[in-house]
Amino acid sequence: MNKSLLASLLVLTLALLPFTTTSAAPKSIGKVKGLRGLVSIQRDGKMKPAFPNDLIYQSDVIVTGSDGAIGILLDDNTLISMGPISRVAMDKFAFEPATNEYAMRLKMQHGTFIYQSGLLGKLAPHAVELQTPVGRISMLKEDTSFRAKIAE
Amino acid sequence: MTRTILLALFFLTMLAGCAAKENLIVLDKTADGTVGALQVSTDKGSQVLAESGTAVRIADRDTPPSPPAPITSEESQRLFADALQVHPLMPESFLLYFKLNSNELTDESQKLIATIVAAVQRRQSKDISVIGHTDRLGSDEHNRRLSMERARVIYNLLSAASIAESDMTIIYHGEGNPLVPTADNVAEPRNRRVEVMVR
Repeated sequence: MNKSLLASLLVLTLALLPFTTTSAAPKSIGKVKGLRGLVSIQRDGKMKPAFPNDLIYQSDVIVTGSDGAIGILLDDNTLISMGPISRVAMDKFAFEPATNEYAMRLKMQHGTFIYQSGLLGKLAPHAVELQTPVGRISMLKEDTSFRAKIAE
Repeated sequence: MTRTILLALFFLTMLAGCAAKENLIVLDKTADGTVGALQVSTDKGSQVLAESGTAVRIADRDTPPSPPAPITSEESQRLFADALQVHPLMPESFLLYFKLNSNELTDESQKLIATIVAAVQRRQSKDISVIGHTDRLGSDEHNRRLSMERARVIYNLLSAASIAESDMTIIYHGEGNPLVPTADNVAEPRNRRVEVMVR
């Protein structure tokens, strides 16, 4: 009896698992504020053109064309802008002060970037990882702004 | 023979010289004039940038970054002109304060509502966050709920002042994001607030 109860519980748990993992709707992490020329967002293996006020999601890769430029405002007020022929991967982003979840990993792969730290830089500076192919950039103070040019 | 070696050395130096200029990180002032600090690390070393208008250059991962050196603002403007044109405005933020353990606004903060409405109209913002906070007096759970109620009060006031509800988002942080860090269970009026962020 106990055994069959356990078995049915197990089956029920397994049956529910896919729902619990897929039911959380993807949450946006930021928004396109400035845009010029052609900029593409690579999401779930597809490329789509970016438009002003588009939402940005975790795992998006943003690529600007030869006349493209984009300014993004992340949910913690981090500002990131890129000039032409630039590419950034928004690997990881979490900003949930209510539950103390903080994470950010951005890969600035090539191009020109302007970065202004936001609340993540203030509340959880160690959770911010900025990577480039030639090395990493760590914030030593809150409210830090820098520009980076990374070769292709 | 020596000539070939010299020639090869010459080309190598040229190559290294070019590569060294390709990756560049410049410390900048923020929009409000603050200068932060950062560290740039490759696999072979790191450098700290703490003065605005100074830059490190990186050849590749296997080379330490160059020591910080000034870069002219003309060069920096030229390199980053396109990104600068689309760089977003830093969001404007307003703080409204509440009475102890209550969702009632202080009298001074009541007057800020009109200022917020003016800022929304000036920026033509369609992206307004209303973020509730508490101090650390009381339980986490209680403070989460209180911060939500406080945000809701402001949301309703802004809505009554003609700001479209579809342009506003309610967020609440409980006691997790204090303006003034304190130990747990400390009353701190400056943390009893709703922040309205106009983006």
